[in-house]
Parts: sequence; structure tokens; C-alpha cells
Amino acid sequence: MLPGKSQQEALSKCIVYFYDGNSRTFYSLDKSHKNAKPNQSLGIRRLEKMVMETFKGQWETAIIYENQTNGKELVKFKNGRRLF
Amino acid sequence: MKTTEPNCLYFDFSEVFWNTKSYIDRYNKRQTQLTNKLNANHRATAELITRLYIKQLNQASRFQELGREQLPGFRTFNVSLATCKGCTKRTIINHKERLKQAGFIVREEHRGSEGIEIWITPEVLGHKKLCATSVDGVTKIGVVTSLFYDKAKNFHPLVHEQQEQRNNNITVHKSISGVSQKTHQDDKANTTGTIQEHDMNTGEIVPSVPQNQTKVSEKETEKVGAEHISFLKKQVLDFWRYTYSSLYPGLMFCKPEEQEILNHIWASVFQKFRLKGTKKQWENHQDMLYKRVDMVRRWLERNPNHWIPKPYLYFHHNNKRNGFGKTWEWYLKQETLKNEIRNQIIIQQTQHEWKQREKGEGRHKHKTRLQLFRIHEKRISNYKDKALEQAYQRSLQQTLKPHYVTR
Repeated sequence: MLPGKSQQEALSKCIVYFYDGNSRTFYSLDKSHKNAKPNQSLGIRRLEKMVMETFKGQWETAIIYENQTNGKELVKFKNGRRLF
Repeated sequence: MKTTEPNCLYFDFSEVFWNTKSYIDRYNKRQTQLTNKLNANHRATAELITRLYIKQLNQASRFQELGREQLPGFRTFNVSLATCKGCTKRTIINHKERLKQAGFIVREEHRGSEGIEIWITPEVLGHKKLCATSVDGVTKIGVVTSLFYDKAKNFHPLVHEQQEQRNNNITVHKSISGVSQKTHQDDKANTTGTIQEHDMNTGEIVPSVPQNQTKVSEKETEKVGAEHISFLKKQVLDFWRYTYSSLYPGLMFCKPEEQEILNHIWASVFQKFRLKGTKKQWENHQDMLYKRVDMVRRWLERNPNHWIPKPYLYFHHNNKRNGFGKTWEWYLKQETLKNEIRNQIIIQQTQHEWKQREKGEGRHKHKTRLQLFRIHEKRISNYKDKALEQAYQRSLQQTLKPHYVTR
């Protein structure tokens, strides 16, 4: 889990709804190295990889949002498939 | 002193240097161990960074309104800082680390080929002044000059004129490329630059053309420039749409991902539009790119084991292994082959016409040898291909040889 500061700095977050009823929020790691310029699409790709590979077959829905208040939905997954 | 810009922020050099000095002194006092203290070298690096940063900020504030809360960072390169200071790049990196530990540098971002961006503590920058206080300008100059005279020893390396001229760290002009030329010139014409003496060498020359004329021509050039930029943007977008439909029909991309891909395409495929060309030339270039994409599509269809990486990698400018850049070689090879085949067909055709004429058949049967040669020469010169001309000469020698022998 990312420390609090990194959570605030993250550009996107992913909420995963598991089959067992649990839900969990993951924050993106947008930098390729410590001092790199943040790259939102890199963070999204990493979250997508996590959802599709690490938690493969364990979740029903996963949604990636912008990490802001009232942030937009960027990507949505359902039953192992990306919807948009 | 006159200033016409109402909201132009101005950072006082002397004040910021004084803050830097006191900040480092305070930090050193807090440290008990000698090794933890910042030495004169670290101090010099900090002062160099501050000086160049203020210069950037003051220049930027003249061209665009800076946010009071969120100031842009200091954009530079480690190498150029090292050159300015007369040390190695590694020393600068080490010094930056120490300054980060001391809290002098609060944030640093690496921008790859665009260098680095550094944010220094707002405590050092102090409160920002507004340039609009033109009424008490005289007193302000007095304060500044007295400060410089008083602290001359401390500030010696900071106002060194040679370093100012050699400084190549300023990227402000790059970041404000959207500002119109008009605003630049007005700014220059109205500022007296008394306080901003450090920046005098960086100024642009005010043109001597009458103002009405320049306004009209500037508007026209701006309009043409904007049209051209929108045209180039459209080229990138069209290319991506075509590629997406041909090579990645099943994939989905969200907005940030698409933006990243477009940036990669702009950088690698269109070379950041460094080369200047007319609309027609760009359209021809676009056609060539479409042909290359078609080649890749055909290559993918040929064998199910063939694959290409995801677009953010495929169009990445550093991808030399399996990037889109490789298709340029394919394209060249294909075009060369096409030309060779075309040449062969033309040569065969001319040979056939020569033979027909010798037999007294065909449409050239009444023409003399010279006339037929001239017709062929004209036809071949249309292609502007030296290889074709040489091949024709060789074929001519072979075709006409038996004729000479019989005579």
C-alpha cells in the first residue's frame, strides 16, 4: 500500500469490487523513477495490469477514476473485460 | 521609472540572496556535526540556482501572469549548471542532494531531454513585489543600490557579468511560446529596465517599422500560423485514427493514454515538426505514412505469429528495435523495387519498339532512328531517373549492335 503522501499525489485510483463482497481502493504510481515527471497513462497501465493479472478471476467490477473529488471515470472493467 | 504592467510580479535579487544566506546560516547553526553543515561550495550552488531562478521568474512575469501560489519551477540542466559553476555534473547532483536534505530544494522533477525542474523553498523567495509601484521607483532603486554596495563582498559571484552572458539555462521563452509577438514588443517598449539590469542582454530589439503596418502583418502571420498549426495537429490526429482502425481495432484507450500516444506520434513519426514544409508536402508525407501503416497491416495479416507492440511503445521515439521507425526501411525497399520493375518494363517496351521499327512494323515504322531515339529520350527524361537513363543506354547498345555489324 502506498504511503499517505503518495496517495495524495497519485493521479488516478482504482476501486476493485471483489466477488467475496469486499472492495478495495488502489492508487496509481505514476512515476518511472523517483524524480520523474508524473505520467498518468503509465499509472493507468499499471493499475490495468494489476487488475487483469494480479487479481485475475477475483473481481467482478473494477473502475479507474481520476484521483480528485468528483473525478471522472477513466476506465471500467467488468467480469474480466474492459468496457471503455 | 515607468511600468505599465499592473500585475507583473518582481522578485528583488538582493532580498532573495539575503534570504538564501540567512536560510543556510540558520540551517548550519542547527547542525551539531561539521559534516552535516553546508559548506561554501553548497552555498555557491544554492546562490547560483537562486540567481538563475529569479531571472527566469522575472522574465516570465513580464510575458505572462504568474500565479502567486503556484510559481513555476526553475527549469535547467545539470550540465549547464555545472558549466556555469565550473564543476562537474556529478558535483551539481551531489550539491542538490545536500540542499534537498537542508530543505532548500523542496522538489525536483526530471524531464529527460528537457532537463530538470527544481522548486526552492518559498521561504527564500520571500514576499513577491508588484512592478506596478512605479511611483516610489526612485526610492526602490536607492534601496537596491545601497544593498548592493553594502553586501558587495557577499554578492560578488552572483552578479558576475560574464556568467550572465554565458547563461543558457533560460527556458522561459520556450514555455511562453503561445504569447503573441505584439505583447513581447509592447513589454519591451514600456519597461525602463532600471531594476532589471541583469536581464538587459536578453531583450529583443524593437522593430523600426511603423506600428500600424506591424499590427496588420502580425495579425496575418498569427492567423496563418494558427491555421498551419491546426493543420499539423489534424495530420497527427488523422494518422492516429487511421493507425488505430488498421492496426489496433480491438483495443480501447482512455483520454490520458490517447494523449500520450499522440505525443509519441508527434515526436517520433512527425519529428516534432522540426522540418518546415508546405501543406502539399505534408500531405504527401501523410500518404507515405498511410502506405507504411498498410504495409504493417499486410505483414500482420500474413502470419498469426507476427505482432507489434502496444501503441505507446510502438510509436516511442526510443524504440529502435520494433518501433514504427523500422517501416521506413521497408518502404524504401519497396519503392526501390517498384522503380526497378518500372524501369525494366520501360526498357522492354523501348526494345520492342526498336525491333518493330527494324522489321518495318508498328507505329514508328516511318520514323528515322534519330526520331525514335528522341521520342524515347523524351519519355525517359520524364521519370528523372539516372538509373533508367543508364539502363536505356545499355539496352540501346545491345539492340543496335547487330545493325552496325550488318552494315
